[in-house]
Amino acid sequence: MSEVRPPRLFTKFFKWYCKAPLQESILGDLEEAFYTEVESKGQLIARWKYIWTILRFIRPGIVRSLEGTQKLNNYGMIKNNIKIGMRSILRNKVFSILNVTGLSVGLASCLLILIYVKNELSYDTFNANYDRTYRVIQHFGGRGSDLKNEILPTSEYQVWGNAPIAPALQEYYPQIESVFRFTSQFNWLVEYKGNRYQEKDVVFGDSTFYKVFSWDWLAGDAETALVRPSTIILTKKLAEKYFGNENPIGESLLMDGDELFEVTGVFEIPANSHFQVDAIISMSTFKGYRPEIFDAWGYVDFYTYFTLNEQANIHDLGEQIPDFLTKYYDTEYGYTFQFEALKDAYLNSDAGRQPGPVGSKNNIYLFISVAVFILLIACINFVNISTARSIDRAKEVAVRKTLGSRRSPLISQFLIESVLITFFAALVAVLMVSLGHGYLELFIGKQLSVDWLFSPVSLLIGLLLVLLLGVLAGLYPAFILSNYRPLQVLRGSFKNSSKGIWLRKTLVVLQFALSIMLLAGTAIVYQQLNYIRDYDKGFESEQILVIDYGGDYKVKRNIDFIKAELLKHSAVESVSVSRATPGDFFPNAGTTIETPNGEMLAKSPAIYEIDEDFIPTYDMHMVAGRNFSKSFPTDTTKALLVNEATAKLYGYSNPEDIVGKNFSQWGREGKVIGVVEDFNYVSLHSEVEPLALRYSIWWSTEKFSVKLKSTDLGSTLGELEAIWKEAVPSYPFNTYFNDMSFDNQYEADERFGIIFYSFSILAVFVACLGLFGLTIYTTNQRAKEIGIRKVLGASVQRIVTTLSFDFIKLYCIALLLAIPVAYWIMSTWLASFAYQTSIGWQVFGFAASITLAVSLLTMSFKTIGAAMSNPTKILKDE
Amino acid sequence: MSRTSFLGEFEELILTMVLILDDDAYGNTIVNGIKEHQDREVNLSSVHITLYRLEDKGYLESHFGGATKVRGGRKKRYFKITNAGKAMLQEMKDARSKLWKLTPQLKFNHV
Repeated sequence: MSEVRPPRLFTKFFKWYCKAPLQESILGDLEEAFYTEVESKGQLIARWKYIWTILRFIRPGIVRSLEGTQKLNNYGMIKNNIKIGMRSILRNKVFSILNVTGLSVGLASCLLILIYVKNELSYDTFNANYDRTYRVIQHFGGRGSDLKNEILPTSEYQVWGNAPIAPALQEYYPQIESVFRFTSQFNWLVEYKGNRYQEKDVVFGDSTFYKVFSWDWLAGDAETALVRPSTIILTKKLAEKYFGNENPIGESLLMDGDELFEVTGVFEIPANSHFQVDAIISMSTFKGYRPEIFDAWGYVDFYTYFTLNEQANIHDLGEQIPDFLTKYYDTEYGYTFQFEALKDAYLNSDAGRQPGPVGSKNNIYLFISVAVFILLIACINFVNISTARSIDRAKEVAVRKTLGSRRSPLISQFLIESVLITFFAALVAVLMVSLGHGYLELFIGKQLSVDWLFSPVSLLIGLLLVLLLGVLAGLYPAFILSNYRPLQVLRGSFKNSSKGIWLRKTLVVLQFALSIMLLAGTAIVYQQLNYIRDYDKGFESEQILVIDYGGDYKVKRNIDFIKAELLKHSAVESVSVSRATPGDFFPNAGTTIETPNGEMLAKSPAIYEIDEDFIPTYDMHMVAGRNFSKSFPTDTTKALLVNEATAKLYGYSNPEDIVGKNFSQWGREGKVIGVVEDFNYVSLHSEVEPLALRYSIWWSTEKFSVKLKSTDLGSTLGELEAIWKEAVPSYPFNTYFNDMSFDNQYEADERFGIIFYSFSILAVFVACLGLFGLTIYTTNQRAKEIGIRKVLGASVQRIVTTLSFDFIKLYCIALLLAIPVAYWIMSTWLASFAYQTSIGWQVFGFAASITLAVSLLTMSFKTIGAAMSNPTKILKDE
Repeated sequence: MSRTSFLGEFEELILTMVLILDDDAYGNTIVNGIKEHQDREVNLSSVHITLYRLEDKGYLESHFGGATKVRGGRKKRYFKITNAGKAMLQEMKDARSKLWKLTPQLKFNHV
């Protein structure tokens, strides 16, 4: 008999699900019945019956409920806390709405800023070899300087460099896996089946692009796409523009009207790449056109990127640069280079001639500060309102304590409440973000990926942060509340605790200070952006229409004729032809000019190629010498203009003195004939760099600049287009206004400004919510005082002043704190601009008065109401 | 009269069994009694649940006792009918007899 036992597994199962008080007798009955069955019907049937009965016992009356047992006791308590929390949230609707609105706006702004910052930081990370991809930054010095062993500040280098360094690097460094070069953008007239457009962002590139950059490859064979000459790969955008839904692979595009390039691939560069191109033509094509520049260490037109193998250390490569230069480089011009990591390309590079727009670290810092400020303000609101309201909960706490609650469950109760509010706020915030995300993308003009937000890890982190935020915001109120002495409270001698007051005041000061800082920041950003926009660039760009013909051969052959045709129109004041216009891309050229002590000094200033009408068309000023002129036929080959910065570069403090000195540049020799006043041809982020202006030969021109008199631009444009079509049927009339294109450079700044303003306003709004809540509270607290004052004859203004005065004191302290901090932060930000507005007292005056006005207005909603109320209503309870 | 004062057929059966078994009414004896007197197989679980329900309604009370070796040393839960239980049974029996009196002479339809 000893072996025959009821199935133990099911006994255990029964014990697990059954209510504890019922277990013993039922199990006893079960076991007794089991043995009776064994004797009468045998073991097998008895076992089955036992199991069957146990299964039949799974019924509502028997199964234990989830709560009420010892093990799950906390659950019951938490459930109760949540219930009480919900009740208290619902009971005080005004404060709950203030709290949730403030926190959710704060959280949403924070999240949006985070999305933006994350996007800025994500640049180039899509590349598989992100961590081991580098680029070459090069420095071109003057004749005779030996720079082999020099390491210059990175701002002295430029990303744009020569061609031969790429194969040389690969040969010299075994650590280098692959090298990829591409050129600067060229203009092409692209045609397919009668559709003809000018494409500006077309580059030549090596066939190794796929080894260095992980772009999305959509069609064709990446490995062979750019090997043969006359092949081109297109971005999806361009492929759709020309081919629509057709398959472009194997089709040919007519380039510049005379060459057929075969489309061998379709690709897409992710939006967060630090450079963008529309199409890439194989480098072998370029080599076919101009083989000589692939050996010229002084010819600059290439961006060089490479990947290292996994063991290599870029530092070792850097140390070998002098040796590399000794081996490969021998000309009389100084030259050196450095490596720059791809991770630094977007945000950390101050090298010149970037292949695309670079981001601004300062802006990111500024945004992060705004995010932190907003969140701080929102949390302060929460803490303030909760502590201020703590008196309303005093009785509840006292009763709980009398009934035996210890302090820690009380603290956890209030923490759960604040976590609940934070949680609601987070839900609302997520809703706001999903609505605001589209607008943010619109403002920034970039695609902002939010996929990462919805990964399980982010959600978990988000949840934890909400928890943390709730606990942090609720900690202080929880401690204050749980500390009340029940005896005092219940006896009725309890008054509003003075303990929380100093903290509440500090927090209000902090909140005022943050708001003032944000507003001052907003004012400074606004002022600086205006300053840049209105800064005298040194030339007149309004009403100048640029006709860009991309250096088209047929146009170039007829320049004089077209110029004359355009000038026939009555609205045209003057026409100039040049290679670049202000704000455009321009080359540099090795230029040797005689210094004051007679030496020939070689430097590499930027150059413009212009005609004699360029300077008058753009209203630039000559400070010394004369402009190019048709009456000096030698001007076309033996004359050079320079700007003031160039005069200084070659050692002339007085621009007059450089006039008449000898120069040689790109195969021309002659005299400097004049000095142009510095005009800002890049952007006001940087100082005016040295510039030499030479007379253009017809084949190097690319653009007409047409100065218009008329204000009726619409019809003039139409008429000019007709003239153009007549004169140049083969090339589209591709135009833009110079001032618009120049201002495009500031588009990023403008957008930054708009976003900054919006978030600042949101922050101040959140701060106002908090102030409003606090005002409601204090006025309620002082209702009796107000009543008595009124009975004794105080006027409405008098009472409003009394009520506001407390806040004004705090405001003054905040003002004193905010000004120096804001000054410091904003001067750091301004430092990234070469031309800075000054931070005047007006900025702070503005911020201070706005903050004061808005706070008084906010408070007045409640204070005036309180002051006008009927004292009998308030005092009748007494 | 509220709903809880009605007894179901099974509840009435169990209540009656407890009354019959007097001092020895617990799960197994009730199951066996029902089998013996009514020739009806009932599951232990139904019996227990009904017992607890009747206890909740106040017709039964219980106490522990009588641990035996065959039960693995576990105590029995003995049930005893309360006065309310007895009154309830009586009331149900009276109500039924009253109804029976109202029926016409019971005739079986043969011939």
